Amino acid sequence: MRITKKRKQSIALLAFVFPALAFYAVFMLAPAFGGAAYSLTDWNGLNPAYEWVGFANYAEALSDDPSFAHSLWFTVKFVVFMVVLQNAIAILLAVLVESVGRGKAWFRTIFFMPNMLSMIIGGFMWLFIFTKVSSYLVEHAGLSFLDRSWIGDPDFSFYAILIVSLWGGAGYLMVIYIAAIQGVPKQLKEAAAIDGANAWLTFRNITLPMIYPAITIGIFLTLNSSFKAFDAVYALTGGGPGRATQVVAMNIYEEAFSFNSRYGYASAKAMILFLIIFLITMVQLRIMKIREVEA
Amino acid sequence: MNRPASESAHPKLGFRVGYALVIAVLIVAAIFTLFPIYMGVLNSLKTEGEMLNDILAFPSRLQFGNFADAFEKTDYMRSLRNTLTIAVVGLTGIILFASMAGYKMSRTPGKLSGFLFATFVLSMLIPFHSIMITLVKISKALAVQGSTFGLGFIYIGLGVSMAIFLYHGFVKSVPRELDEAAVVDGCGEVRLFFVVIFPLLLPVTATIAILNLLWMWNDFLLPLLMLTDSNDYTLLLSTNMLFGEYNNDWAAILASLVLAMLPVIALYILLQKYILNGIADGAVKS
Repeated sequence: MRITKKRKQSIALLAFVFPALAFYAVFMLAPAFGGAAYSLTDWNGLNPAYEWVGFANYAEALSDDPSFAHSLWFTVKFVVFMVVLQNAIAILLAVLVESVGRGKAWFRTIFFMPNMLSMIIGGFMWLFIFTKVSSYLVEHAGLSFLDRSWIGDPDFSFYAILIVSLWGGAGYLMVIYIAAIQGVPKQLKEAAAIDGANAWLTFRNITLPMIYPAITIGIFLTLNSSFKAFDAVYALTGGGPGRATQVVAMNIYEEAFSFNSRYGYASAKAMILFLIIFLITMVQLRIMKIREVEA
Repeated sequence: MNRPASESAHPKLGFRVGYALVIAVLIVAAIFTLFPIYMGVLNSLKTEGEMLNDILAFPSRLQFGNFADAFEKTDYMRSLRNTLTIAVVGLTGIILFASMAGYKMSRTPGKLSGFLFATFVLSMLIPFHSIMITLVKISKALAVQGSTFGLGFIYIGLGVSMAIFLYHGFVKSVPRELDEAAVVDGCGEVRLFFVVIFPLLLPVTATIAILNLLWMWNDFLLPLLMLTDSNDYTLLLSTNMLFGEYNNDWAAILASLVLAMLPVIALYILLQKYILNGIADGAVKS
């Protein structure tokens, strides 16, 4: 009797889960496992015949592929800048917006707006600013600090990509931080005010510790999204000049789809990207959770 | 803002200066945020010559020629319809399938349920770029590549994880007594879910709908990989293609960018409150 009831329960469970599981298995699990398997082969994507090469692809990607190494390094640099700047800007905006009386809704609306746009659209609009508007401002308004090739010079295009990514992403995190700040008990702030704490001290000793869980999420989201950066770079520089601003995602894309169509090798690179993101995220969550408990 | 009121000789004045500073910073940030959008809209209304002459000035005469041109060249209505088709197929599937799965797993104790849930949730850490190569191969083999419906199906597969996670958590706040009462009243499992439970999930359904709609609408790489025929192009893809074609005719390019962003800006203005709340809820729960 009990067994049949349990079996019945399992059948009902599977019936409800099946549609989601079917799509998920075909378009997520199978590509994930398939990719892991292909990464151990020399498949070129077309030829039905291929051979197992073990970890040779991984060895090549990590030791004998300057363009991959460069794209990894470029991405890591980008991620570090993004994690620090994006979260700092988002927290600053959230605190400032929350401290305003009238007009709060306006500011929030405006700062979030770029997030509604695809970074392809945003990136092209910024390309217009960096090429046409900036040269106009240099010529007519004498803003000589803008006088550089934002897109053609690898050093500056790094900053151009950074600016556009921050422009597009900070508003999203700001919304999360605003929600966190609104969750800080009012009594705490009032008590601090009575004790004579100024705005900075209140922020440092009350708001910041109280929004720590949101910062964990903010850093997690930034790590995740900036390791996968593609759209803004595609729109602004296309990875150029040469391959100077090529991010890992682009390097993988190129390897698989445009130049060599080395599927096996590109899959190995994709697995390396996954492992990097996975390890860093795990370490980050571990560290932040420990501190969260202490705070 | 930084100055403690008590230290200032004129506490009120100190506070006011601080407040003015806050507003000033916010206004500068707001101008910076809107500047690219403003420049895009402004210059899309000028002729190329007028734009080169003075990029900051208002157009001497509003002209919509660029828009007519871009509308036609991006095949706007068809691109819009393609984008909508993908979003509707994807959203319907994600909401329907994920709510069923999330609900049932949340309500069923035991190892099987836990295992299934873990299978869904763990993959949330796998980046799209790690699966895209093989995904293209599989989609080709299944003849899902190259169709807007097929792309919608792929979004279902990629999107259910997060939706299931959110539904799974939310269902815990729906009292179990409701299930029992409905069963006592002779309600079958399927009717129980669709008639009693699903309507109660509306708040989280709204969040999931918003997050996924924005994702599908603004996604570029997956459509680029999957849509091979320009008849199936989404708004983003046609805009991108136009970009290559116009080759520096900025006035025309900007018009196509403005056209591509119109639907999302309209959506944002209409549903602002829900979108902002949905983003906050989605992030806090996942």
